[in-house]
Amino acid sequence: MADIKRTDAISGDVIHEYDGIEECDNELPNWWLGILYGTMIFAAGYWLAFQQLHVEPTAAEELAAYDAKQRAAQGTVNDEDVLLVAKQPASVVAGKQVFDATCSACHGEKGEGKIGPNLTDSVWLHGGGPVQIFSTIRDGVPAKGMPTWGPVLGAASVKNVAAYVLSIRNTNVPGKAPQGEPWKGL
Amino acid sequence: MNTHQLPVYDKASSLRADGSRNFVHPADVHGRFDRRRKIAFTFLIALLALLPWLEIGGHPSVFLDFEHRSFYLFGATFNAQDAWLVFFLLSGVGFSLIVATALWGRVWCGYACPQTVFLEGLFRPLERLIEGPRNERMRRNAGPTTWDKLWRKGIKHALFLVLAFAVAHIIISYFVSLPRLYRMVLHSPSAHAEAFVWAAALTGLLYLDFFWFREQLCLIICPYGRLQSVLTDRNTLVIGYDAGRGEPRGKATSSGEKRGDCVDCNRCVVVCPTGIDIRNGLQIDCVGCARCIDACDEVMLKLDRPVGLVRYDSQLGLEGQRATFMRPRVYFYGALGLLGVIVMSFALSTSRPFEANLLRLRDAPPFTVDDGRVRNAFEVHLVNKRGSSTVFELHGDGDPRLHFTVSMPRIELSSLQDRRVAVFIDFARGSVHDGEHAHVEVWQDGARVTLLDTPLLGPK
Repeated sequence: MADIKRTDAISGDVIHEYDGIEECDNELPNWWLGILYGTMIFAAGYWLAFQQLHVEPTAAEELAAYDAKQRAAQGTVNDEDVLLVAKQPASVVAGKQVFDATCSACHGEKGEGKIGPNLTDSVWLHGGGPVQIFSTIRDGVPAKGMPTWGPVLGAASVKNVAAYVLSIRNTNVPGKAPQGEPWKGL
Repeated sequence: MNTHQLPVYDKASSLRADGSRNFVHPADVHGRFDRRRKIAFTFLIALLALLPWLEIGGHPSVFLDFEHRSFYLFGATFNAQDAWLVFFLLSGVGFSLIVATALWGRVWCGYACPQTVFLEGLFRPLERLIEGPRNERMRRNAGPTTWDKLWRKGIKHALFLVLAFAVAHIIISYFVSLPRLYRMVLHSPSAHAEAFVWAAALTGLLYLDFFWFREQLCLIICPYGRLQSVLTDRNTLVIGYDAGRGEPRGKATSSGEKRGDCVDCNRCVVVCPTGIDIRNGLQIDCVGCARCIDACDEVMLKLDRPVGLVRYDSQLGLEGQRATFMRPRVYFYGALGLLGVIVMSFALSTSRPFEANLLRLRDAPPFTVDDGRVRNAFEVHLVNKRGSSTVFELHGDGDPRLHFTVSMPRIELSSLQDRRVAVFIDFARGSVHDGEHAHVEVWQDGARVTLLDTPLLGPK
């Protein structure tokens, strides 16, 4: 068969033939070529707009900006930040809801302590000030079984819970015996 | 060198030599296969439109809520962790289609493919209604721009856009709940920009496909269409022309020359939606629509000749030989499909209406020692995979040497909600042997559903 050359009635070109399978040499569909050239033009435009002229940030830059924003949002928290949240009754209510769902299992429904320490007395294991309470909730005390709640709840919820804990501090609900050192700070 | 001309079927009939489109204008046809196809189209379009409205167990019968990673299929509830089942679903559907292809050729393309169903069931009939039959359409297209041409084209495109918009929203209703979709349609696009872009893009794509692209999708883009030549053989049921009976074609002449049954009326060619001549034999452009069968039968009946000059038959059958229905490839494809079905049934029968996993507490050391007691800290991750809310209970298995502290013994979870519950297991040093395990019982709605197992770490 290999020595037999056949021609296509339309384009008149030589047909490739292998093992009886023949290939005609026809033009590609114009719509198909349109897509091919269209993607090339798009790629050039994209490269110019994003890589050269920086009309919009690239995906990598957007991600870096987002990460920086997240880090800034989780950055240093001072007493004023937490106290500001604690002054808003809505935040305290929201904090209580999270506390009831998440914390009461170990710290008791009123914060009187079960497996976890009593939160209503004036004695604290890891500090009883606004920032200390916030940090303990956010970072946890894994060695003692207190989970790291920051990634689970998010910074805003952790602040709300800290605000609620501040509101029940020193209410001395009868419960688990005091543990730790008396807190004399803010 | 032997040079001879090939027949024109070495070229897609819907494309010209220079790559431009040879737009196909199929003529009208009526017959038994046309009736069957209309019934299939009506049923399938109704089914597609109605499934999101039918509720089973409080959820739409098919609802793929990607936004919330929740998937409802005929009363069963799945989350993203069940995605592996999709492999068996797709391979099961795929192999069923492959078996059907080996046996009956392109029945899917002719009767059930959405491209065919929407094009031949909605868009093409509408075009026929507005622009008239084949000859009128072709004459008007070739003619000058007149008021008649303008208003017909204008109304056609407007209605095509409306239809594309409707079909797009039917498709979207599988991914967004109907009440929400309705609210979004009523509100300004800026209130739900992402959904609006999807709806607009889908409408545009469907419009472009059905007014212009049409058979090019089946011919060049569709991978299933391209696979035909390896899935079918000479025993497969295809639509074919009985050359032995039809040739030599032509009208009867006075000279009394012997002619076949084909009168070369060209009806089978003008009714074809992909523009091929079925008399050239099986071609990859053929979408198995059977319109040429109806067209030829009509002519044969008028001429008082038996129908079936163009018919559903195997290539062997068309040559007058016997075809084998069950061939090795049918058994092979069937066995592969059955394997998928068996694994799928097994996976579905063992899939449980919940997920419960016991993990060591994140960021905590594997164990702590305090006053001669050893503590292992865990968390149980629970997911409710029922369609409705349910109550879980967690407690130890009653081993007297172990002390279980479950931070939340009773957990109520709504459908596909999940929660992590801290669990501590304490034991006195010396009371537990190396390699011993602890067990946490999981109860759902009052029945014990599973026993979670974990090795105990720490000085024994």
